[in-house]
Amino acid sequence: MSSLVLSLIAVPWIVAAVLLFAPKMLGRGLVVLTALALSVISVVIFVQGGSQPFSFSVPHQVHQIMLAADVLMLLYFVGVAFKYRSWLVGILAGLQMGMLAGVINAVGEKASEASPFLVDRLSMFMFLLVNVVSGLIAIYATKYIEEEDVREQRKRNFLAILMWFVGVMNFLVSVDNLEWFFLLFEGTTLASFWLIRFRGDDLSVRNALRALWMNQLGGVAILGAILFALNSNYGTMQISELVKQAGSVGFMLPFALIAVAALIKGAQMPFSSWLLGAMVAPTPVSALLHSSTMVKIAPYTLLRIAPAIAGTKLSYVIILLCAFGFVVAALGSLARTNFKEILAHSTIALLALMCLLAAVGTETAIMAALFLVLFHGVSKCLLFLEAGVLERVFHFKHTTQLQKLGDVGPKTSFFIAFGFISLMLPPFGAFVGKWLGVELLAKNAQIGTPVVSLLAIVAILLGSAMLTFLYFKVIGALISRSGEHEKPVSEKMAPCFFGVPLILALLLVGGMVGLVPLTNNYIAPVAAAVHGTLKEFSVDGFAMMFGSSQLAVWPMMGAMLLFPLVAFLSQFVRFRGVDRVKEYNCTERYEQDFASYYFSFDKLNPWFILVGTLFFVALVLVGRLPL
Amino acid sequence: MNNLIAAIVFIALAPVLGGLVYGVERKVRARMQNRMGPSILQPFFDFMKLLDKRPMMVHSTHAFLGIMHFVAIWFALAVLVLGGDMLVVIFLHLLATALLVVAGYSVRSVFSHLGSTRQALSALAYEPVLLAIAIGFFMVTGSFNTSAVMNSAQPLIVKLPLAFVALLMILPIKLKKSPFDVADAHQEVVGGAEIEFSGVFFEALYTARWVEYMFGYSLVALFAGANIWLGIGMATVVFFVVNAVDNSTARLNYKDMLKISLGIALPLALLNLVFLVL
Amino acid sequence: MGLNKFRAKSPWILHYNAGSCNGCDIEILACLSPKYDVERFGMINTGNPKQSDILLITGPVTERCRERLVDLYSQMPEPKVVVACGSCASTGGVFRDMYGTECGVDNYIPVDVSVPGCACRPEQIMQGVVAALGILAQKNKDIEKPVRLAGKVTEQDGQTNRRELAGTLEATNAKN
Repeated sequence: MSSLVLSLIAVPWIVAAVLLFAPKMLGRGLVVLTALALSVISVVIFVQGGSQPFSFSVPHQVHQIMLAADVLMLLYFVGVAFKYRSWLVGILAGLQMGMLAGVINAVGEKASEASPFLVDRLSMFMFLLVNVVSGLIAIYATKYIEEEDVREQRKRNFLAILMWFVGVMNFLVSVDNLEWFFLLFEGTTLASFWLIRFRGDDLSVRNALRALWMNQLGGVAILGAILFALNSNYGTMQISELVKQAGSVGFMLPFALIAVAALIKGAQMPFSSWLLGAMVAPTPVSALLHSSTMVKIAPYTLLRIAPAIAGTKLSYVIILLCAFGFVVAALGSLARTNFKEILAHSTIALLALMCLLAAVGTETAIMAALFLVLFHGVSKCLLFLEAGVLERVFHFKHTTQLQKLGDVGPKTSFFIAFGFISLMLPPFGAFVGKWLGVELLAKNAQIGTPVVSLLAIVAILLGSAMLTFLYFKVIGALISRSGEHEKPVSEKMAPCFFGVPLILALLLVGGMVGLVPLTNNYIAPVAAAVHGTLKEFSVDGFAMMFGSSQLAVWPMMGAMLLFPLVAFLSQFVRFRGVDRVKEYNCTERYEQDFASYYFSFDKLNPWFILVGTLFFVALVLVGRLPL
Repeated sequence: MNNLIAAIVFIALAPVLGGLVYGVERKVRARMQNRMGPSILQPFFDFMKLLDKRPMMVHSTHAFLGIMHFVAIWFALAVLVLGGDMLVVIFLHLLATALLVVAGYSVRSVFSHLGSTRQALSALAYEPVLLAIAIGFFMVTGSFNTSAVMNSAQPLIVKLPLAFVALLMILPIKLKKSPFDVADAHQEVVGGAEIEFSGVFFEALYTARWVEYMFGYSLVALFAGANIWLGIGMATVVFFVVNAVDNSTARLNYKDMLKISLGIALPLALLNLVFLVL
Repeated sequence: MGLNKFRAKSPWILHYNAGSCNGCDIEILACLSPKYDVERFGMINTGNPKQSDILLITGPVTERCRERLVDLYSQMPEPKVVVACGSCASTGGVFRDMYGTECGVDNYIPVDVSVPGCACRPEQIMQGVVAALGILAQKNKDIEKPVRLAGKVTEQDGQTNRRELAGTLEATNAKN
């Protein structure tokens, strides 16, 4: 098993190195093969992996190498700071170096023999998500990047960074050592910096630098967490040890700082601008950042520390912070017309929801968070890949342009509508996640934390309603088609542009149909591993019980029958013996354009940033308080 | 067992009952305006007449989505009456609304788009309130299932008076009544999302509205708990109130609708939740 | 089919002002008022051609509204009847032979009932509509074409395409 896990890290890195020099066709073929291999390995690990976490030690030299990598990376950051004259990046890199020195100093005193690796069900779950989804993105990217207007070597670099990123991500979810975690955390930052900068124009560089310094702040927080952990009663920097001792030590600052790092990665207000800026990158990058890697570090990390923070004041602050982030992201999205920007806002909102649920930390909450992580990853990937198709095949970027899509691109418009609907409506997994979230918060409101839970519920209600409204706006724009032709002309596109989204859509449908066995056999054990026990969840035939709330099967089955019927048949049903008549336009003869309402809350943005910052400050301060 | 059979009969007859309610409503509204008004069976005459029209549509997708709107809303009602999870019911109802909205958007027609946007805004206005009410039900009965609500000996309105008021405020939005009938404002957007339907395809939307009536008044009746006669009584009173308000108010624009539902009705419902917790 | 008899029980009205002085329009609206209350016959003023059975037209048909009149007519599903309300709609009335107007609705679309009067009284309108309902119950469901400015109806994929049923002036002029 450990060799399989190591291969998940090593294979992408080796492939990345080869890709830098491989000729075009070989390189592309290699990407496809690697993607397939990684997917298979991750599935094998996930299916065969035992419920017991396992760890393995590494030779002492590896620690040295990691340390060297740390230093090299920080030096690179300093170089970036000089090159682009970004004093913020420079200061943060300097700060990180200083803190790293402090960490090395502290570790020297308390050398730990514990294994830096810890692979449990949660890691395996993340492997599955990271490798399958990123693999599909990589396959798609080979086609996408081919049409990019850059030199061949840059295209190779692009694919190489993509692969390297996947390796880093795999590494990140299998480490237990906070020092390594820092390196990999900043490794993903670095990869995203390169990828966002890829197009090289001013805007790209600016946004890349912003992503860099914001995530560096996260790195600083992690180093701070290590320092405080080592210099307090914890005396360890193993995440699992920290979590175990949390109750007895009662000094929560390390967890608060880890949570800060996670929430920065998760682009919560006021750090949302890095993810919004990331959309200048080629679309596969956005897909990668938003669906399977990068931002998913946020819920992953919070799930890791969930047992330690659940029910503490710290978790209340995180819940409120995320509730706030959810509403603000939903509000912000209402004024957007750029398709990718809309997707980005919805990612931030849903990330807030996942983090919120992870912070609640009861086993049902953890299951809900896992549902969201998994299904959001697949849905969002589908949507971003379609955004790429819109750019490449139709040259559309704005929702207003989407109105022509129904006539010229029925397949694409179907996939986009499907993706949005899978994010909000029953019977999809994302809906189940939200449903569980509201139910368990309602329960928490009754037993224990009424104010926090009620506020969180209000946030979820308002935010979801606004997001739903937003999705309708987009779906509405793209589904409209003229009645001139009963059968729209199907668009022609590269097999890759059609096949990859199709696989994702099938995954979503599969997840919907097989929701009960999937939950019972695969998601429940993950939740059990995170939470330690699993008492609330049980399966009765096709009904799932979460504590006292039951997801009865027949309404879901009904929705399941209803939805595909509608989604698929609406494309194919042709009524016979019927008159086709013109649209009623008050008998006006000129072409009419449609606009959609939009509501702008941008002028409130400074306030949102202020409140968000206060929340982060409060998070650290509460961590400092005694339990 | 008897309850189950009654529930199934109710579901099966829901469109017919809804049609009757609509017929009575037209009569009542006419009497309120000192008119004779049509026959109580008028909705069914309309139904038969629509069957007899030459079928006409813009394109099949549009017509099909309209039919599925009817199916979905009927299904949502079935889940509600059979004691399903309240949140699932609300989201199924949202699914039904979504189908109507998407149907409206699926044609290139100005009023249809306008109406769909307004319909979506209406959903934005009332869904949070409905969800808050569902949470109120949970806090009183300890379960999200409507069956628990229907078995509760004490009428829920005793514990949830403010939530009931909130429901009264959003009911006109759901039933598309003045002052919140922006979604199908006949004089402005000619029926909104319904505009491009005709003949048998319009039939689907026409009957969907009857089912929507049953859905709305069933929600009201839920506040009576196990006492079914109280539930019917409450629904009747609410029926008259809603129609009196419909007859005596002018249409507000969508901004006012949002302000009133999210600014007054939702806080009312939440206030009720806070009282329950305290 | 027994369904015919329901046509008379639920007539939905589309009212179009083809250049009327508003006199007849006011009388039509008076029909809807509590005093005359046509809703007791099940009538609704829908404002939507696709859901209407009776087209009530007032005014002599000005040049500006010819295409629109034909367009509205052709979007109504059969069976349908046309009631020309008032002297102008029936014959051109005081506007007959003036520049800029046509001499009544029947130059463009087939009229089933003409209601006289300038302006026609509500009782007359109701009588006209009731007469029209008798005709409506007898009609079959074949596509009715406008008299002038008629476009084409085509069959394709087992469907009837009537999108072009209302022709345009340009097309008609080009043909002549």
